[in-house]
Order: sequence, then C-alpha cells, then structure tokens
Amino acid sequence: MNRKKNALWHLPLMIIGIIALLPVVFMISNSFKTLQESYQSILSLIPNKPTTINYTTLNHQVNLARLAWNTFFMATLVTLGKLFTGLLAAYAFRYYQFKHKNLIYLLFVATIFVPFTIVMIPNYLVIAKLNLLNSVIGVALPQLCDATGIMIFLKTMEKIPGSLFDSLKIDDIPNRRIFFNIVLPILKPSIISVGAMFFINSWNEYVWPTLILKDKSSFTLPLALQNYISSEGGTNFPLAMALSSIMIVVPLIIYLIFQRYILNSISNSGLK
Amino acid sequence: MHNNKKILPFIYLLPTGILLTIFMVIPIIYTFYLSFFDWNLIAPTKDFVGMRNYIEVFTDPVNQKVLMNTFFYIILLLVLNFIVPYVISLIVKFFIKRMQGAYKIIFFIPSLFSLVVGAMIFSWLLNPVSGPVAFLFRESGFVLPNWTNSGGLAIVVICLITNWKVFGYNFILLLTGLGSIPKNIVDATTIDRIPKWRMIWNIVLPMNKSIAIYVLILTIVQGLQYVFTPINVITTGGPYYGSSNVLYHTYLNAFVLYKTGNASALAITTFLIFLVLLYLEIRFVEGRSRYE
Amino acid sequence: MSDNNATIELKEITKDFKNTKVIDQLNLKVAAGEFLVLLGPSGCGKSTTLRMIAGLESVSNGEVLIDGDDLKKKANDGHTIAMVFQDYALYPNMTVYQNLEYALKVHKVAKDERQKRLESILETLNLSDYRDRLPSELSGGQKQRVALGRGMAKKSKIFLLDEPLSNIDVQLREKARDEIQSLHDRNKQTIVYVTHDQLEAMALGDRIAVMNDGIIQMVDTPENIYKNPTNLFVAKFIGTPQINVLPVWYQDGYLTMDETKLVKLDRINSIDPKDYLLGVRPEHIKVSKNSESEFSVPTKVTKIVDYGRYIQLTLDLNGQHVIKAVTKDIDCKIDDTVFIRIDERTSIIFDKDSQKNIYWDRV
Repeated sequence: MNRKKNALWHLPLMIIGIIALLPVVFMISNSFKTLQESYQSILSLIPNKPTTINYTTLNHQVNLARLAWNTFFMATLVTLGKLFTGLLAAYAFRYYQFKHKNLIYLLFVATIFVPFTIVMIPNYLVIAKLNLLNSVIGVALPQLCDATGIMIFLKTMEKIPGSLFDSLKIDDIPNRRIFFNIVLPILKPSIISVGAMFFINSWNEYVWPTLILKDKSSFTLPLALQNYISSEGGTNFPLAMALSSIMIVVPLIIYLIFQRYILNSISNSGLK
Repeated sequence: MHNNKKILPFIYLLPTGILLTIFMVIPIIYTFYLSFFDWNLIAPTKDFVGMRNYIEVFTDPVNQKVLMNTFFYIILLLVLNFIVPYVISLIVKFFIKRMQGAYKIIFFIPSLFSLVVGAMIFSWLLNPVSGPVAFLFRESGFVLPNWTNSGGLAIVVICLITNWKVFGYNFILLLTGLGSIPKNIVDATTIDRIPKWRMIWNIVLPMNKSIAIYVLILTIVQGLQYVFTPINVITTGGPYYGSSNVLYHTYLNAFVLYKTGNASALAITTFLIFLVLLYLEIRFVEGRSRYE
Repeated sequence: MSDNNATIELKEITKDFKNTKVIDQLNLKVAAGEFLVLLGPSGCGKSTTLRMIAGLESVSNGEVLIDGDDLKKKANDGHTIAMVFQDYALYPNMTVYQNLEYALKVHKVAKDERQKRLESILETLNLSDYRDRLPSELSGGQKQRVALGRGMAKKSKIFLLDEPLSNIDVQLREKARDEIQSLHDRNKQTIVYVTHDQLEAMALGDRIAVMNDGIIQMVDTPENIYKNPTNLFVAKFIGTPQINVLPVWYQDGYLTMDETKLVKLDRINSIDPKDYLLGVRPEHIKVSKNSESEFSVPTKVTKIVDYGRYIQLTLDLNGQHVIKAVTKDIDCKIDDTVFIRIDERTSIIFDKDSQKNIYWDRV
C-alpha cells in the first residue's frame, strides 16, 4: 500500500520530466527529417529515412564556423571577465574591513534587480561611440561583472575558517600568496561551476546582442537561429532545429562534465 | 602596511566598481535624464518636455494595455515559475524517497538552452496548424485555438516557454532551501505524529520563508526579462501589443519607434517597480529572519 | 503494563547502511518504568538503536516491540513516544510555549488541559519567564530545558533522550542531570537515554547498556558494570582514570609479570597456563612506602597530581609499564620508589585473545 502511494507521487514528477525532455528529443529527431517528412509523420520520434540534408543546407546558407567562433569568443570574454572581477570583489568583502562595506555589498547585489531596459539606451550609445557596434567585444564589454558570482564566491570563502587566515598572518605570508596558494585552490569547484554557468548563459544570450550585432557576419548562434524563425509563419522547422541542435551541444557537454558542480553552485546562490 | 590594508580592498573592488559605474550607475542617471526629453536617439537636439513622457506612461491606451499585460505576466509567472516548482520541490523532499537526484538532473536540463531554442521548439509544438499538439487535438476532436491571434493566449504560451526554461533552476533553489531544514526537526514532527501537510504548513514553509521570497522576487524580476526573448522571436509583441510587456515595449519605443523619451520613462517606471521588490528582498532575505 | 509507561523489546535487530552492519543482531529488553542508558563511544550504533526504537529508522532485520506490539500498529496519537534530540530540534519559528503546545494542539488535547499541563511544566523547568521567546533568543541550557519540556508535555509512555546534555556548559550539566532524574522519579516513564559520558550514565541509569561496534557488550546495573565488566572494552570504557591493564602469565596458582609474582589466585584454580591480561582499577592499587609482602612490587613515581580529595600517581614499573594509582594519604616525591600490591578480589583477569573476563565464563 505504501509503495502504491509512493508511486502516485512519482507520477507528476515523471510528467514534468517528460515535458522537460520531450521537446528536445523532438527537436533533434526533426533535424534529421526532410521538411516533407516533418509534416507527414509529425509525431514520430525516429525519422523514417534519417537525412543530414538540413545540416548540409545550413552549412551552405550560413558560416557555421564563424557563428560558433563569435559565440565562443563572446562567451569566453564574458566568463573570464566575470570570474576575474567577481573573485577580486569577493576577496575584498571577505577579508578586509572597510567603511560602508555592507552598503557597498548591498548595492552590488541590488544590480541583479536592475532591469536591462533602464541601461540599454545609454549603453547602446556608449558602445556606438566606441565604434564597437557589430563587434562581440561591444556585447561583452558592459557584462564583465556579475553580482551572482560575487555572492557565490563570497559564500564559498565564508566556509574557509577565519582562524586559517589568522594563522597565515601570524606566519607572515603575503596576501598575494594567500590568495593564490590557499583561497584559489579552495575556490576551484565554485570557479568551475560559476564559470560554467556564466559561459552557458552567455552562449545563449539573445537580448543585448540583438541590439549590438546587426551585421550578419558578427552574429552569434542565437541571433542566427532567430533569423530562421519567422513570426509570420512558414518557418522551415527542420532547418531551424538542425541549427538548434548544433547550438545545444556545447551547453550539454559542459553540463555532462560539470553537472554536480553546477547544481551545487545554484544551491549556493540561493542560500543566505 | 597599515595604509596598504586600507587601500587594498578598494583596489580589489575597482574593476567591478568601474564597470558598474560606467555601465550601470551613469546609464541609470542618463536614462532618468532622457525621460524628460523628446528625442529619437539620433537627432543632435533633444526637446525638454517635462513630465509629459511619464504622463503618457499612464494615459496612453497602448501603454495602459502594456501595463495590464505586465500585471498578467506577473501573476502567470508567479504561478508557473514559483508556486508550481515549490509544490514539486515539497513533493520531492518530503513525499518520495528515491530518484531525488535524477529528478534534479533532468529538470535542470532545459535551463541549459537558449530561450530562442525554447521559443522555436514551442512555436513548432504549439503551431495551431501544423504542430503536433494541434494534430493531437484534431485527432481527439478538439481544435487548438490560434493563440497567435489572441494577446492573452499568446502571453500564456510565452510564459509556458519561460517556465520550461526556468522551472528546473527555481526547483533546485527551493529544494536546497528545504534541504537546509535540519533533519532532526523533521524527525521531531515524525515522533510527535504530526501529519505531513501540517508539518509543511506550520514548520517547513515558515522556516523556508527567506529563500522562498528570494525565489519569488527573482521570478518576477527575471521572468519579466526572460519573456522578452520569446516575445521578440514569436509575436514581436502582437497582436496589436497584446503580448507586449513594459520591458518589451520599452525596447520597441527605443529601437523600433525611436521614441527615446517614452522608452526612458517606461524604463524608469519599471525600475521603480523593481526597487519596491528589491526593498522587499532586502527586508526579508538579506536582513535574515530573526530565527535563522 | 500501565498508563504511564511501556516495555520496549528489541529482538535480533540488525541494521545495514550500504553493506556495512551498523547494528548486529541486537537483543534488548527495557522494563516498564526503567531508566536505561545506552553508553558507548561515538559511532558505536547507540543513536541508531535509539532512532530505531523511535521508529525514525527502519530495521533491516528483527523486531521492535512496544508493550509487545509493533510500533507502527500503535495508535497514531503521538502519545507513545517522546524524544529529545541532541541539538534539541526546537521549531525555530515558534515560541517556547508554542513549541511545547504544538503536538498537543495537533492531537486535539483540550485547551484547558493543555494550559494546565504546560504551565506546570514551565514552572518546573524554570521557563515561565521565557514562554514567549523564540528558540534563537535562548541560551543553550534554556533550549535544552525547552526540549525536555516538549517531551514532558506529551505525557508519553516512553521518553527517548539522545545525548541531551552534550551541548550545554559543564557547570549546568549536573543540574540538568538532576532535573532529568527527578522527572523520572515523578513520572515513572520508561526512559532510554543515549550518552557517551560514563559519569552521566553511572549517575542516571537503573541499568546501563554498553555498546561498541553495533553490539551490546554488557547490560547491567552501574555497580556491576564497574566492578565486574564482561570484557576488556567495558572495563576500559568505564572509570577514570582508566583501568590498569598488565600483561601476565599464569603458572601454578600465581600470576606473574616479567618473572615477578604479582598475585596468588585462590578464587580460581585450574586455568590454562598461558598469557592473560590483569585489570586493576587505580583505586585498588595499594601503594606503600615499604615492601609489605612477597607480592609487593617496587615502582618509581613519575608524576603526582593532587586533586584535593585524592592524589593520582603515575608509576613506572621496570621502565616498561605505566601504572596509575589513586590514593588518599601518601607522602612521596617524584623519583621516589614506592611499592604496589594488587589484591585478587579487586582485580579482573581477561583472556588475552578473546579479551573476555574469565570469571564470567565460569559463573
């Protein structure tokens, strides 16, 4: 009886699991169907005659390597920037006392709650002034710091006992060495996970790049994909799905490798 | 050495500080400034119009519609992205014994994908003519309404798309909060034979309040920004602004209609709404509830 | 069987955690109204045993019977078992009074009755002034009393306590111990009390069950456990300073160590001539300045600690063995030579291989 009751609870969870995964499975399967087949056998998960035609068409229409490079380059810049600024800031908050520390920290956290619309016009003008429109550097530049990273790093650093630092200070170890020899290695798991999240988010980013990148040669993958979706209907879905399938490979691989780290870091970002 | 200690933290904070000043603080002030002008983003001159842009935010019928839509978005996002994941995390935490890890891993997978991908898949799945859902509806004798023609239905679909992406993330945050409730407290209720639903209501929910409020506010603040992508990809705010919200409308004004002043006033209005939410966040979350 | 208390019986209980046996075929009977202490080092399985009695942990094999019945079949009114947790597990969002009241409220005890019960408990535990405080506003000792009060409020037949005193200051511990003792004297509930502190165990228990490696080594009254431990583990675990253990050889009615005759055995004859371990509690080592008999052994004083009520000597025997002795009146200095004597009646002989008390085998 108990077991039956238990199974009942699993039912809604299984359904959510299916809703989460089925669309992706459909997407990948359709990317191997011809346009015609995608209309005819709409519900089949396994293509009758698997074809790579969509991928080859895609390859003719857009410069996939260029798209991937743009996206990768942008995501790498953003990730490195956010990690660098975030680690330094968290270190300052954890190990130094200074005036208005709490206020400054709160202001940093508050940036999470600033809607992008309020900064988008001035930032657009700045990037335009800097002649960085149509450049992924222009996309990356305003995004080189992130309060979430500071929060998570700070939380990890708080787990290092203060007495460890007292003992290092008594031994007269210089700060630089403390940071590189002690703090950084302890932080490694959160750097990996936060870095992975930053990279994935940046890889998927859409809103800000649409403002800055107008020229097709500067497009990132999400922008290219958007070009294949028509709001008036008539989208060639197998083609769009092929591009999507290419796009999701990188985040999926990162997730498969760092899954446990990533889930932990999300947990950390919420715990106060 | 002593001096060093005073300056060092500010050196460490400098990169973040400079970036935030240039790309956050000054822009907010500048947007505030722009909200009092009539401008088209390009012209060399700006006309001072006083409060006109703000008055228009609340009097212009399109803006009113958009504000109402925003309200509808918030309600839907709260239900889909907060209440549902919360209920599910309670089930996973307290009502099942196995597979918790597996559910976490699976539910999170859609969070890895771009909302453009989500928007594309769902516009195929829910395509009123050729999509598989419409097909199933037809087979069983129903008709899938053409949601692209109705602002309200389009909003529902757009919220579902963001829900698909955000669900796992919020689920994990909330589940972690539940996980931080000491096992002994749950055991104490078991010993006292407190029914599970009463334990959840009387003890778990109050104890998990701060993280729940954090997720709740995040749901609104980030949710309203997340829906931007599917709106732009699928409906571009249509039909006739029916699926637009304040943020998307700000974007339309700024970069499509080139009404910079109106856009700025809308942005400032949004910001004020978010500030209220931020205040609540600080009050309940950063300020730590007194029994933590 | 009565209204106030219940018997507990553990039958052949086994508990596996991921292929390791935490508890191995454990049998234990607790009489109604008895105060039983589960004593053992950390990780010995005592808390797990307690949690199995509470029904918080399932048993892999065997049965837990309360008044002869399976716990799960008992009425779900929450009045059978109360438990105090090591970290108290107070509901952090409820005041002291609400904490005490909660279970009663859920199980629909009438408001008047609730009030009456709780007022008297708050009074007894000296908590009346704190009734509207949240747990976070209380000191460790106060929290501990609230936890105790929450258990008392239910008037349960069985009261389980999991190291309830380990998180409070040493100064307060004795007072808290007395409170628990008088609580038991008054209500006569069946109490199972888990601790790693032997003094607590000796002071509180009607009987003590000493556990190690998931096995109950011995269950008996505190006195018997101290005087007549079943095996070397029990002997060493109980008593400070620890019991002295000397490697000895049995031959022709004598126990000898390094060719020196230590004890003549009269109570026992005909044990195999082989290696044994001789256990002697420090207070049973007779120390004198002069050789008093043929069994006196000279030792050198290496350390003297004066505790006021008694003096603790650390003695060196032949540079090979360290012996602790407790004595009241001896006037000696470090490096003095003193003589020790061991009495057969106050010493225990353990088999060297099985580490069992050999007298036990014969009884």
